[in-house]
Amino acid sequence: MGAHAHNEEVRKPKVKHEGPKRHLVAFIGSLVLTALAFIAVAFEVIPAGFTVPFIVILAFVQAFFQLFVWMHMDQKGHEFARISIFAGLFVILLAVIVFVYWVWI
Amino acid sequence: MATHQANAVLPDEPEKATLEGKNKVLGFWLFLGGETVLFGSLFATFIALRDQANGGPTSQQLFDMPLVAAATLILLTSSMTSVMATLALHKKDLKKIQLWLTITVLLGLGFLALEIYEFVHYVHEGHKISTSAFGSAFYTLVGFHGGHVAFGIIWIILLQVSAVKKGLTVVTAPKFYLASLYWHFIDVVWVFIFTVVYLMGMIGGKVG
Repeated sequence: MGAHAHNEEVRKPKVKHEGPKRHLVAFIGSLVLTALAFIAVAFEVIPAGFTVPFIVILAFVQAFFQLFVWMHMDQKGHEFARISIFAGLFVILLAVIVFVYWVWI
Repeated sequence: MATHQANAVLPDEPEKATLEGKNKVLGFWLFLGGETVLFGSLFATFIALRDQANGGPTSQQLFDMPLVAAATLILLTSSMTSVMATLALHKKDLKKIQLWLTITVLLGLGFLALEIYEFVHYVHEGHKISTSAFGSAFYTLVGFHGGHVAFGIIWIILLQVSAVKKGLTVVTAPKFYLASLYWHFIDVVWVFIFTVVYLMGMIGGKVG
């Protein structure tokens, strides 16, 4: 990884200033997704069996929103960030599947 | 002030201007990958054990939606204010960084206060870490997250203190950037906690 960082040491010419707009959009998006999840559970607006998958999907959408926009994972130079987060997610997925189907209590 | 001199020569994206800064960001993402696995295993444990109340209070009896919604709102807003600190960092504006990070710390303290109140309340209801597998898994997962919030608060406060002395330089800029990344990560973890622990706990039933 050190070699990788060395290669990138060439200075970028001029970094354009990012405005707060896309971060505010991510904030409002997160608020809406959060509100949707709470509403789905509080008022049981969608069929019972679908509530859990629905709010889990909402959580993933919101998490990726924040990872890519707020934590800048969408920008270049973040290949390693993507690898480490997705490798972590892969391990989590394995762990959750194993724990849910393999615990015998 | 030394700050003004530093600002005059500070390059764009000062957190990545030096090799050391770049390596810090790289190393921090490796750390976050490890944190993902750590929280993931706690989540997996919780999901497997969340219905094992052992005669103690169940999640449906315990959880209170307004409290969780308030905590969620506070932490989400604090994540927003820490992104504002990063934007101020890119504008090389130390005053604004300090302002936004102070708001972030205050919101973080509000979140912790709510969580402590919540835990005390649960213990009075008979939900302790030793009550059941559900209790152990709950306090380990949510407590670990709360511990991360507390650590983040202490970290940012120390950064604020050192920034008064050192100002904004290519050495201190990566530290602000990483503290902000860490804080976002804490919020990302909370997204899954309010979904998997609280909301799914209020619905009840087993996943999968």
